[in-house]
Amino acid sequence: METTEIKEGKDITVERTGEEERKLLFKDPLCAVCGLCETICPVSAIEVCPTGAMIRTEQDTSKIEIDENKCVLCGMCSGICPFQALDLQIDGESIKTMVEYPQIIKSADIDELECIQCKACETACPQDAITITRELPKRADLITGEIEIDKDTCIYCGMCEEMCPVDAIDIAHQIPSSDSPVVATDIEVNEDTCVHCGICKRICPVDAIRQVCRICPYGEYEIEVPEVTGTSYIDPELCVNCTWCQEICPVDAAHVTKPFEGELTIDQDTCQACETCVMVCPCNVLSFPKSEKAGSKPEKLHKDERFCIYCGACEKSCPVDAIDVKRTKINYSPTKSKAWVKAFESLKN
Amino acid sequence: MPKHIVSGLKYLAAVNLRKKGQTQKEIANALGMDRSTVSHYLNGRNISRDSIEVAEVVIEMCPKDSLLLTYTLLKNKERTRTIIRTCQNKRYDGVIKNSCIGCGLCVDTCLVKAIVLNDLKAQIDFKWCCGCLICVEMCPTNSIEIKEVVD
Repeated sequence: METTEIKEGKDITVERTGEEERKLLFKDPLCAVCGLCETICPVSAIEVCPTGAMIRTEQDTSKIEIDENKCVLCGMCSGICPFQALDLQIDGESIKTMVEYPQIIKSADIDELECIQCKACETACPQDAITITRELPKRADLITGEIEIDKDTCIYCGMCEEMCPVDAIDIAHQIPSSDSPVVATDIEVNEDTCVHCGICKRICPVDAIRQVCRICPYGEYEIEVPEVTGTSYIDPELCVNCTWCQEICPVDAAHVTKPFEGELTIDQDTCQACETCVMVCPCNVLSFPKSEKAGSKPEKLHKDERFCIYCGACEKSCPVDAIDVKRTKINYSPTKSKAWVKAFESLKN
Repeated sequence: MPKHIVSGLKYLAAVNLRKKGQTQKEIANALGMDRSTVSHYLNGRNISRDSIEVAEVVIEMCPKDSLLLTYTLLKNKERTRTIIRTCQNKRYDGVIKNSCIGCGLCVDTCLVKAIVLNDLKAQIDFKWCCGCLICVEMCPTNSIEIKEVVD
């Protein structure tokens, strides 16, 4: 029986093979450097590297270090990690799927029936964890009208072609020759693209275009608006359950459960506005407010606790101790192990 | 020579297993021997008095030394636990404290396979425990207490 450590790039694997095969996997890109693993480790095997330096510079080293001589592969770090960065597997199975282990209760879902594919969540998600796909109807399906170009009257000046906002007009230009002494041979309107705006008709110097939009004269009810269809996907590995999607969704289609509850306090007087916490926060809770007008002094650091999961990464990274993260509740499934309950509860303050 | 001590240990185990009513075939299977060798041993043949004496000393040593020496000689957990259990007549009992984190280090360390994890807590089967206390020494949270049962 031996514990070994393998480093692959910045990822770490600690392994022990005995009666069962235990493997602790650390995925560096997912780590937000909150330090909960370091705090919970019962054998002090984990050390989190200095956060400011890790975040601000392109370091070649991992965000945490695991001492394989101390690590007993109990999995507490994996159990508490809110970012899927640590995972203990026993005989190939993650303890995150085992009922005897306490599981952090967190979730993020988008209700496909409610979702209108507006993509607000995709834009707001601080981890780029959301992908919304949508299929929009053809423009021509939302409009109805008629357009006709009298090719005998048309002088092929190209004004309509140049002004058409949807590039629906196509003229076959050419340099005239003695064989074909014309500037163009043909003009076509793509009726699938045309939105019947009437610009071509109005610009035409020889009145060669007949166009009519049928929407206005007959009112809104002429056309049945086709439905926008699409799908939504939240990458469970990247999602940090920050509730940005839930808060920004205009139709309440996103529902998120945060892993922890608590309180975030910023000491504006102590804060030196170094921006480390803003860069560290995986949930975009913190930002520097813009000055309203010349001469006005905004608060140094702005927070919106709606998005905070109280992981403590900002507090850990702050070089002047201006941030205090208080965890009042940790949501986890019940376990019979008193040691695990005690360890989880010890993270409250 | 190591193999002579192994013979001595197997002799002692064979005699004890026979006393418990096991057949020669069962003994041969448990100790990884030929049935004919078991027969010879049980009739006092093909085994030197010296080997038996050394084996008796090995069994009488402190449980940890006794176990490590036996395991080093046999290099097989199943046969080690059979020999230790049949020859050593001490009994142990103990408790796992609630501070156990279920890391499984004791399970991996126990040479007589007496420990399993149950709901993230170690559970010792004292029918097999030989009192070596290796698990107690290894436990990162000092959660194991084992004591010899004295009648």
